[in-house]
Amino acid sequence: MSVSPTLSVAEIKDRNKALIEEVLKVYPEKTAKRRAKHLNVHQEGKPDCGVKSNIKSIPGVMTIRGCAYAGSKGVVWGPIKDMIHISHGPVGCGQYSWAARRNYYIGTTGIDTFVTMQFTSDFQEKDIVFGGDKKLAKIMDEIQELFPLNNGITVQSECPIGLIGDDIEAVSKAKSKEYDGKTIVPVRCEGFRGVSQSLGHHIANDAIRDWVFDKIAPDAAPRFEPTPYDVAIIGDYNIGGDAWSSRILLEEMGLRVIAQWSGDGSLAELEATPKAKLNVLHCYRSMNYISRHMEEKYGIPWCEYNFFGPSKIAESLRKIASYFDDKIKEGAEQVIAKYQPLMDAVIAKYRPRLEGKTVMLFVGGLRPRHVIGAYEDLGMEVVGTGYEFGHNDDYQRTAQHYVKDGTLIYDDVTGYEFEKFVEKIQPDLVGSGIKEKYVFQKMGVPFRQMHSWDYSGPYHGYDGFAIFARDMDMAINSPVWKMTKAPWKTEELPLLQAAE
Amino acid sequence: MSSLRQIAFYGKGGIGKSTTSQNTLAALAEMGHRILIVGCDPKADSTRLILHAKAQDTILSLAANAGSVEDLEIEEVMKVGYRDIRCVESGGPEPGVGCAGRGVITSINFLEENGAYEDIDYVSYDVLGDVVCGGFAMPIRENKAQEIYIVMSGEMMAMYAANNISKGILKYANSGGVRLGGLVCNERQTDKELELAEALAKKLGTTLIYFVPRDNIVQHAELRRMTVLEYAPESQQATHYRNLAVKIHANQGNGIIPTPITMDELEDMLMEHGIMKAVDESQIGKTAAELQAIA
Amino acid sequence: MPQSAEHVLDHFDLFRGPEYQQMLANKKKMFENPRDPAEVERVREWAKTPEYREKNFAREALTVNPAKACQPLGAVFAAVGFEQTIPFVHGSQGCVAYYRSHLSRHFKEPSSCVSSSMTEDAAVFGGLNNMIDGLANTYNMYKPKMIAVSTTCMAEVIGDDLNAFIKTSKEKGSVPAEYDVPFAHTPAFVGSHVTGYDNALKGIIEHFWDGKAGTTAKLERTANDKINFIGGFDGYTVGNMREVKRIFGLMGIDYTILADNSEVFDTPTDGEFRMYDGGTTLEEAADAINAKATISMQEYCTEKTLPLIAAHGQEVAAFNHPIGVSATDKFLMTLSRITGKPIPEELARERGRLVDAVADSSAHIHGKKFAIYGDPDLCLGLAGFLLELGAEPTHVLATNGSKAWAAKVQELFDSSPFGQNCHVYPGKDLWHMRSLLFTEPVDFLIGNTYGKYLERDTGTPLIRIGFPIFDRHHHHRYPVWGYQGGLNVLVWILDRIFESIDATTNVPAKSDYSFDIIR
Repeated sequence: MSVSPTLSVAEIKDRNKALIEEVLKVYPEKTAKRRAKHLNVHQEGKPDCGVKSNIKSIPGVMTIRGCAYAGSKGVVWGPIKDMIHISHGPVGCGQYSWAARRNYYIGTTGIDTFVTMQFTSDFQEKDIVFGGDKKLAKIMDEIQELFPLNNGITVQSECPIGLIGDDIEAVSKAKSKEYDGKTIVPVRCEGFRGVSQSLGHHIANDAIRDWVFDKIAPDAAPRFEPTPYDVAIIGDYNIGGDAWSSRILLEEMGLRVIAQWSGDGSLAELEATPKAKLNVLHCYRSMNYISRHMEEKYGIPWCEYNFFGPSKIAESLRKIASYFDDKIKEGAEQVIAKYQPLMDAVIAKYRPRLEGKTVMLFVGGLRPRHVIGAYEDLGMEVVGTGYEFGHNDDYQRTAQHYVKDGTLIYDDVTGYEFEKFVEKIQPDLVGSGIKEKYVFQKMGVPFRQMHSWDYSGPYHGYDGFAIFARDMDMAINSPVWKMTKAPWKTEELPLLQAAE
Repeated sequence: MSSLRQIAFYGKGGIGKSTTSQNTLAALAEMGHRILIVGCDPKADSTRLILHAKAQDTILSLAANAGSVEDLEIEEVMKVGYRDIRCVESGGPEPGVGCAGRGVITSINFLEENGAYEDIDYVSYDVLGDVVCGGFAMPIRENKAQEIYIVMSGEMMAMYAANNISKGILKYANSGGVRLGGLVCNERQTDKELELAEALAKKLGTTLIYFVPRDNIVQHAELRRMTVLEYAPESQQATHYRNLAVKIHANQGNGIIPTPITMDELEDMLMEHGIMKAVDESQIGKTAAELQAIA
Repeated sequence: MPQSAEHVLDHFDLFRGPEYQQMLANKKKMFENPRDPAEVERVREWAKTPEYREKNFAREALTVNPAKACQPLGAVFAAVGFEQTIPFVHGSQGCVAYYRSHLSRHFKEPSSCVSSSMTEDAAVFGGLNNMIDGLANTYNMYKPKMIAVSTTCMAEVIGDDLNAFIKTSKEKGSVPAEYDVPFAHTPAFVGSHVTGYDNALKGIIEHFWDGKAGTTAKLERTANDKINFIGGFDGYTVGNMREVKRIFGLMGIDYTILADNSEVFDTPTDGEFRMYDGGTTLEEAADAINAKATISMQEYCTEKTLPLIAAHGQEVAAFNHPIGVSATDKFLMTLSRITGKPIPEELARERGRLVDAVADSSAHIHGKKFAIYGDPDLCLGLAGFLLELGAEPTHVLATNGSKAWAAKVQELFDSSPFGQNCHVYPGKDLWHMRSLLFTEPVDFLIGNTYGKYLERDTGTPLIRIGFPIFDRHHHHRYPVWGYQGGLNVLVWILDRIFESIDATTNVPAKSDYSFDIIR
């Protein structure tokens, strides 16, 4: 099926450039000019991927992006399990994002944990016209009454809040005072802010800084005795249990994980994080802000890592260990050695079935680059990738550490572009989101959702890699893809190919 | 619906817009027209002279009490006053909260859906100071007001506002067919007021359709929460409002697409008429003390 | 290390091993500042009490786990029911990502829709330029025959005027002047997705019938014998539309389905992605003015659309998501009356088969208590069916149900001896339902996917009927309308009842005397 293995790098580059030219033809002139800056072919040795990023999506093109609310409520805050997150505004935003992201957690839902619930102020016309502050205050009272074991409240603003000028900060402050200093966090993540989810991450990070960190009494006694090996996992949302299959490795190498941000996380963990000796950062995009802040304010270094696939896991374990003493360094080696047989077995089983297969990705956060190593561990090749809401620093990391010469790069890809690219390149697998899944499966192209792990996972860590390998195999080698053409229509195939 | 005339009064706050509109509409009612007034100002003072009331219960406050606007009946929000003029007030939030503009949209949608415009010759929208957001432009959208009358005076701020409102009309004029019916000058007895009002009308491509002279009888009537038409029907002032009403009635279809001017042009115009002095550039940004030192 | 290449453990099993369990217990104890387990248990029990229910029902401001979505979702759902039509939502772009995901998760199908991507500057200056650029891009890229515009709450709060914006866009050449761009204002803070469906459909019909926003002459109606059919917002649209077409075919009725999205939400996997498929043609949409009558299967999805149609001189008839024998009887007899076509013997036989099935199984359903939640019409349809099965729809709840709806449900209760102890709950949410299930338990719960949380917490077995269904596949491909549809619903209910009996009678030497092989 794949076309690329038979082509040289130069040929691939030419083909990809021609492809970009071709898709741009569909746009009106002004749009073509703007979109051209987001599409490119990676040139080896360049510091970035040669595309513009983190600028406004163009109206009407079918961007895959979401909004700031999705970045704050959906990504950063939503998984904090012992707090109640109010989707403040009309009912829809909270409804569509209700329990959709698979942030696993342990707790008694509705009693001491609340992640898979939808709390909303369900704005009506009168709330828009007269303002919603009084309603918000009442909501907080009702939460206190009906959910007494909540450890805090956040207010996740939807579009109208900013437009009608509600003062959610004042309400939060007043209610916090009324409830003996309870943590109540107003978040200004209205969906029209910024150009994608990305600003929502930033706003949510800042809200933790301003309304959690800055409220901790400096002389408060720590809830646990610090050790030299305390680390915090930052930017792992525990999708399908990702953070757990990561945490276990850090603990096995001798570190102590004092906080998870934010998958299966709690307010206490957020508050404890300034005591960490090192912040290990998985999703750079969504949580670099708070990591930098902790570095500046508390002097905590941070270290990016990648727990997809054995090569990157080993590299990351050693990198993390380098911040600690020999005990931890030895611990890292022991962990790598311990899982080596499992990894060998997984690769022995799946690599022969996947060798040489090509992949095109379009995801958010860290995955457009982070999963490349895992595919390579299985002998697969990523031939195209792009970020839904990446910034230039993401493309720099991608160019310098991950993609191969000639890889097709598409930033904030439009529905049309993605469809055309896949149609022409004919990869063996596409990894993207729910909105893309069925488009490509209809085309007969195997697909895995790389946001939700297609309801599987975890994919992080050694345990996760076994699942990842199995899933990619079952997507690509599913017998269903042999049935997409009716047998009595197969004679048409050669004709079609000849026509191309 | 074809016989229904929809007009709107816009103008800077405090200009006497509600007074002018209510008196004019009372005169139109006297001429036998069936009138509906839709107040679109959160202050809800567009119907008090017709109803002899302090302030009528507004659509939005009633809706908020009832739960939602769908729970309201038209009878609850519509009051009938002088010469059977029907009155509704949109209402809105207290200053500083919520979104008054959205309130205007809500109210007008409610009125249309519940048949408030049936058996009416005239709908008049009385709209707050300026077209500050999309909501306050609701009365000038397509199939709403066909002509806008801007109430103004010879004061500088009133003229600024008139020009701004013209900009709002221009935005909707091409797609929706709304037109500027003309300016109504409510005399403030400022210098060269008539001359200025006429000059501004010319700049905007329209006419000053009436100059309403100042008369204390208006205040006397207002104290009694009445229009002059009702309070002193024989007075000279009542005749002025009748004249204005006749002009407006005859003005159907004569509206124009305004040609708003820039701030500089407006200031030039004021200077031309000696209202504003040319700015001495050397004095800009100087404190009183500094100016004294120069002097 | 439990993981192995040979037998790959999923999240289901992986985390249950001792390594992970120990790790998670330690995390909780050391770092989560957990609540005292006794306190958690106390509150958990307290939340089951009548006292808690009273507090819960006293809520005035907070909504918890609502069973409704917002208007634009319904607008998008209706728009894709027209031939080669792309929904264009004017406002923030994140909303569109949500609608597309939501629909894809239910139908397991692509869902195409564009946004005008308004951001902070558009919030201040209005979204006219977004409309101008957006329409031009969509028109060029996706070659739709029609672009159906609706709004998010952002555009509604700032008061953008779609009519004016679309006209200006046409003047600026975004799309040809005569190109069809119907529109509907669909504020998310009014009503729910069923309201949005209504507004969007009304907007489209108004566009074609009433002079395309003042750009052409209004259509004159010349009555013909066709019947218009409107399904409403329906998670079973794929199966239902096909069933309805079959019924129309059997009766020999000439019909137009308005907003027929049954093809676009059920395209084949054969190597080709069909962004558009099927749908009401634009010619049919215009010609629908001439129909003899319009039938709406969901009254509360067409509260504005039907009066508009009636005002053009057609007879209109509305049903409430008819399910079961008598509701289908009523539907078919109305069709027959309006069209003058007799109900064919084949349908009478199907009816007989459904009655036969009910008779065969009724002993297992009779007297059972059910809680139902969902959209207003679906609740009425399901409650009606349960009553004719001799079951009691004890709690009927619609978050987007109005007082008028509640009165209608009460009327239904009053019409049957099985409805005497039943109650209706308009405007309530699933956290209210939780209290109801604890304080007035029922045997089964009927609702959408989110009902699984209620099943987990209260132990009430869930029968998944409604929208959205995310965690079971392909049920939307089966009809619930017509006698065949009634049979499907009957089987779904029965399956769950039997599973439940088996699950409670399968303990060896304890309860398995009742583990009957024949039921």
